[in-house]
Amino acid sequence: MSESNSRRNFLKMGGAVAVAGTAGGMAVLSGHATAASARKSAGGGRTMANLPKARGPRLVIVGGGTAGLTIAKYARKEYPKFDVVLVEKRDMYSSCFSSNLWYSGIIDLEFLADHSFLDAARNNGYVYFNATVTGLDRASRTLVTSEGDIRYDFLVVAPGISYDYEKIGVKDAETMTALRQTFPGGFISPTEHVTIRRKVQEFEGGVFVQTVPGGNYRCLPGPYERACMIASVIKKNRIKGKVVVLDANPDITIKKDGFHAAFDELYKGIIEYKPSSAVTGVDVGKKVIKTEFDTVSFDDAAIYSNIRASTLIEQLGLMDPKSPQKEAAIDQLRYSIRGDDRVFVAGDSRPHPYSKSANTANTEGKYVAKVLAARAQGKEFAWYSPRTICYSMVNANPMEAISVDAGYVLNKEGTAVSGFSPDTKTFENRDAAKGQATLEWARGIYRDMFDA
Amino acid sequence: MDRRGFVKICAGSAALALGGLGREVLAGDYETFPPARLTDRQGNPLKAGAIPAGEAMVFSYPLAGVPCFLVNLGERPASAGIALKNDEGGYTWTGGVGPGGRIVAFVAICTHQLSYPQPEISYLRYAAAGSEIAGGPGKIVCCAHASVFDPAAGAQVVSGPATMPLLPVRLAHDASTDELAADGIMGMAFIQRFFKTYRADLNRRYGPGGYRREVGKATACVPLSQYSGIVPAC
Repeated sequence: MSESNSRRNFLKMGGAVAVAGTAGGMAVLSGHATAASARKSAGGGRTMANLPKARGPRLVIVGGGTAGLTIAKYARKEYPKFDVVLVEKRDMYSSCFSSNLWYSGIIDLEFLADHSFLDAARNNGYVYFNATVTGLDRASRTLVTSEGDIRYDFLVVAPGISYDYEKIGVKDAETMTALRQTFPGGFISPTEHVTIRRKVQEFEGGVFVQTVPGGNYRCLPGPYERACMIASVIKKNRIKGKVVVLDANPDITIKKDGFHAAFDELYKGIIEYKPSSAVTGVDVGKKVIKTEFDTVSFDDAAIYSNIRASTLIEQLGLMDPKSPQKEAAIDQLRYSIRGDDRVFVAGDSRPHPYSKSANTANTEGKYVAKVLAARAQGKEFAWYSPRTICYSMVNANPMEAISVDAGYVLNKEGTAVSGFSPDTKTFENRDAAKGQATLEWARGIYRDMFDA
Repeated sequence: MDRRGFVKICAGSAALALGGLGREVLAGDYETFPPARLTDRQGNPLKAGAIPAGEAMVFSYPLAGVPCFLVNLGERPASAGIALKNDEGGYTWTGGVGPGGRIVAFVAICTHQLSYPQPEISYLRYAAAGSEIAGGPGKIVCCAHASVFDPAAGAQVVSGPATMPLLPVRLAHDASTDELAADGIMGMAFIQRFFKTYRADLNRRYGPGGYRREVGKATACVPLSQYSGIVPAC
């Protein structure tokens, strides 16, 4: 594309041409730039995002979930010279963590969603940039977004997870789309939570299936907790129905004694737990799930498929081709892409075997902020473990919960995370104190991310 | 009795005692505020000997919206002269006051993610007899993320994610009357952050800006179990 190519021409020609003009090695999803907030040609016919001039090393963070919000705040605390821009495609926050509690009426939507990206940015001295990332040119350190390009000195990509429906035997786009819309897993986006809440409120009887995938899925106790929350509604409203938990794993993956006790003591006849029942196919129209040895008909369902790192990781060329969950090719201690000291991946796209929990991402985010501050000053920062403190509500009437407090250790070589630390504890006797704590646990994380 | 009436009555009696309060604790890093005599709910001076050892009492100081814990350490006396550090720098915690140095006070706001005692519920408490997460008796625990503080050691962090001690409140004890007053606090920057975080809640509770008013010459201490409707036993 010639130098004389005007901005107007560029916009007229649209994304396709812009893609053609970009440097080699650039991964681009779509080159659409909207006129509204993009300005001035960046050369090659691209437009720059309408952002103030960087006042220090520009740290661009992609993703306003727990990892991204925590890093955006704490990077500036660790290194005030950072000029931080948080790129987030949502214009309204609502947390995935704690969303199960909404289904049983313990909390309302405001609890999850009354938190503003604008306030988080203002309170903590960074810029919230509402745009969708469409590409990355690491050679010129340029992030491409739907609202223009952003040059970075350091980039953190924290886009979370995507569902991997192929792993539950759903390979065609028709079924995948139908499944995504009709029986969402409810572990990614707020709109899924709204749908699941409606399902629970509309449930009049029969079988409600909750599936539990294999692999290191997001929120290990989440599907079991949700089964308890739905069962508590069934129990309270005396609905002639049950929750069938189809678990790909041979047993409950975490806090199993606490969950088994709840299933047996609180929800006998209401929760039917089926271990080693990996989903191998779904007939959305007939409402039938196939497992290796069984076929289960259902009236309604939340089908949680296996997960993988966000597709954005793959599309930006940051994926480790050997990773079974398509996670990022980063050094586990340094968090940067192997061979690129400027690009980092954090949150649930990481390859670490951490529990993919909000508290992990929140505590890990503070560590990553220290790493970024060190690296911006040409230093290194020694690894320490994030913490996974995580409550699961097992009873809604009255509120009772169980919990885990986990840390992690490195392998003998000190190169990668190998498992839970010896001080990991579980608190599996459900009680009201932990029930209350479950709420404050979430509020604390909101305060940490959104307030100064 | 309304709040204004309460303060007026207390002020009268507090004025008599203030001059005679012998200061037992001195540290360089406290911000000094006008002393406030500690009273019971009725406005009678609270005697150190009458402070329960089973739970914390809550009082406001130096501003209406700053919750503090008053703790009788009982059989676990305070260790004095502990070097501690918070966001504003290092300081030496000089221990408790009263007979045996058993009475201590701290700002009751978890330094991790700012949980504090509210009328509806308190996620922070003094677990005199220990608890599931306390790891032993006599600790201040926060339910939210299991931060544990040792009030006998300046409320330094024992375990959990908090990275700095609870802010200390300076007390003065008059040995002749066994009465107490609060007269200093450390960490007003943290308090400002707390106010910013909870401004909407505090305005609702204290009226617009009411949380920033100085408590005056006396401040009432209320057992936590009466101050908060629910005190989860974390």
